[in-house]
Amino acid sequence: MTTNAIEVENLTYQYGELVAVDHISFEVREGEILGFLGPNGAGKSTTVKMLTGQLMPRSGKAFVLGTDVTRYPKQVQAQIGICFEITNLYEKMSAIENLKLFARLFGMQDFDAEALLQRVGLGGRGRDLVERYSKGMKQRLMVARALVNRPSILFLDEPTDGLDPVSSEAIRNIILEERERGATVFLTTHDMHEADKLADRVAFINQGKIVALDSPHALKQRYGKRALKAEVALPDGSLVSREILLDHQNTAQVVSKLFSEEQVVTLHSEEATLEDIFIHLTGRGLA
Amino acid sequence: MNARIILALVRKDIQLFFKDRFFAFITVFGLLVYIAIFFLLPNSVDETLELAIYAPDLPEELFTELASEGLVWHQYDYEEDIRLAIQAGNEQVGLVFPGDTMKKIATGEKVAARLYFAAALPVEFQQAYTLLIEELGFMLAGKPLNLEVEEKIIGPDRAGQQVTPRRRMLPMLAIFILMTETLGLASLITNEIESGTLRALLVTPLRVGGLFLSKGITGVSLAFGQVVLLLAVTGGLIEQPLLVLVTVLLGGLLVAAIGFLISSVARDIMSVMGWGILGMVLLAIPAFNVLIPGLVSNWIKVLPSYYLVDTIYRVTNLGAGWAEVAQNLWILLAASSLLFALGMYTLSRRLQ
Repeated sequence: MTTNAIEVENLTYQYGELVAVDHISFEVREGEILGFLGPNGAGKSTTVKMLTGQLMPRSGKAFVLGTDVTRYPKQVQAQIGICFEITNLYEKMSAIENLKLFARLFGMQDFDAEALLQRVGLGGRGRDLVERYSKGMKQRLMVARALVNRPSILFLDEPTDGLDPVSSEAIRNIILEERERGATVFLTTHDMHEADKLADRVAFINQGKIVALDSPHALKQRYGKRALKAEVALPDGSLVSREILLDHQNTAQVVSKLFSEEQVVTLHSEEATLEDIFIHLTGRGLA
Repeated sequence: MNARIILALVRKDIQLFFKDRFFAFITVFGLLVYIAIFFLLPNSVDETLELAIYAPDLPEELFTELASEGLVWHQYDYEEDIRLAIQAGNEQVGLVFPGDTMKKIATGEKVAARLYFAAALPVEFQQAYTLLIEELGFMLAGKPLNLEVEEKIIGPDRAGQQVTPRRRMLPMLAIFILMTETLGLASLITNEIESGTLRALLVTPLRVGGLFLSKGITGVSLAFGQVVLLLAVTGGLIEQPLLVLVTVLLGGLLVAAIGFLISSVARDIMSVMGWGILGMVLLAIPAFNVLIPGLVSNWIKVLPSYYLVDTIYRVTNLGAGWAEVAQNLWILLAASSLLFALGMYTLSRRLQ
């Protein structure tokens, strides 16, 4: 039976008059990667802060690994790993010193910093001062620090934001490895493609409210347009697009006619992206 | 150079400076504090001599005449009261003329007077008072008086072993070292808050209390270690080492508390320096008073550093023991603990 790693009910937070998180409710299953998507200021970080015991909700309940995080934040924090959006490493210390410090705070016995650094692609650079690292290396170290206590839930806040493709891919692989290990991953991002690639389910948050929560596939089916998009060459050599709706009753004839009468250059399915769906649901983009 | 452009740039810079609320505040606040310090310092050179006196036999007219010449007399009913007043630090000098003084003057017999001095009174002052008594005798008799003056020091007699400027400087050096560590601790915490590393620490099993304890230990250890090193090298640990160590430890607690307070309001290294220098000036005032006695009035006793400086000075230079400085230590402990609690409270509010 699948159990929930996170259960949230009517969670609310206000900054003065501004309602940052407005009575949201959702669950995250054990071993699941949940993509928590929304534009800047939508309430993503505030939600993460409440779930990780950094902020006390104004109302509502939040259970993390079966523990009320508002009452026992330290109990929860002992079992989770957090990778912050902003790099907050001890820059004047080496990577190994950074990791060992946090391993000591978590009471980890026989902690192997070198092995963890190897895993995030920083093998051999462990003794360098962090201030000498590139942005991508620092971000990998941030992820490594979040893994120090072998967390049951990994909270990642924009882990690949602004990184080069190699570093981004390395971090994505780690996220997938963690899921393989059995960890739950709460991935906060405004990168729809990343969420699409990684997440089992995605939650769209806008103006403090969750407007949709499902698997990317289900969301695309529900909100996307089933169509084929063909690019055909005209006699004068110019290219034009043709859209063929798949759910129309004479789709087969239209496709047959297209291939018999026109010179088809490309043909592909026109699937809605998560971004399209987000815009459809909220009337705004993710930027 | 176009003066108008320069003026425009200067105006812009001043505008930007005061748009930074911290610098605007610290500029005005610092100015007010420094002005207040200036006005709290004595505005005139004190040319009067104060003297506690027990002389039941001398005529009142004599005191009136002496008062007009800049002498201030505090009359006591018993000789023992004068000794106690000097011991308590309320008087610096006491003069006792026996009850039969006038009779002896009349018969030309030798008059035996006694002069009591506080141990800390510089020798030059002691000599001045001795001359004064001889002048007083001349006024009473109209000729050089057959006078025998017995001088007594209340407290340890420093004759021949006066406190040198170097030794007087010691508490001030200790205060500056302590305050330097305050700046170090405050900038460490401020840097951790601003860089977000404290946030990372606080989402581990580490509790806020544990964080404060670790920072407090760091601050106290750095301050304590350096001052102890200074005192060890300068011979400050020869007299009553345990007492000195306890005093410095309390001093370390005091400056760690101030470090907490500074870091709860400072946003960067510049604001740490701004607040720190203000604190350093205030806390160093009692040390200046040791260096130049009589520089400031009793109001410095509201500064907790007074009890630190006074204790270090008296223990290392005047040989004071636990009993003599116990009150200082209790006040220092109370003030440091109170400030430490206040520092933790304000800092925890900032961390939220």
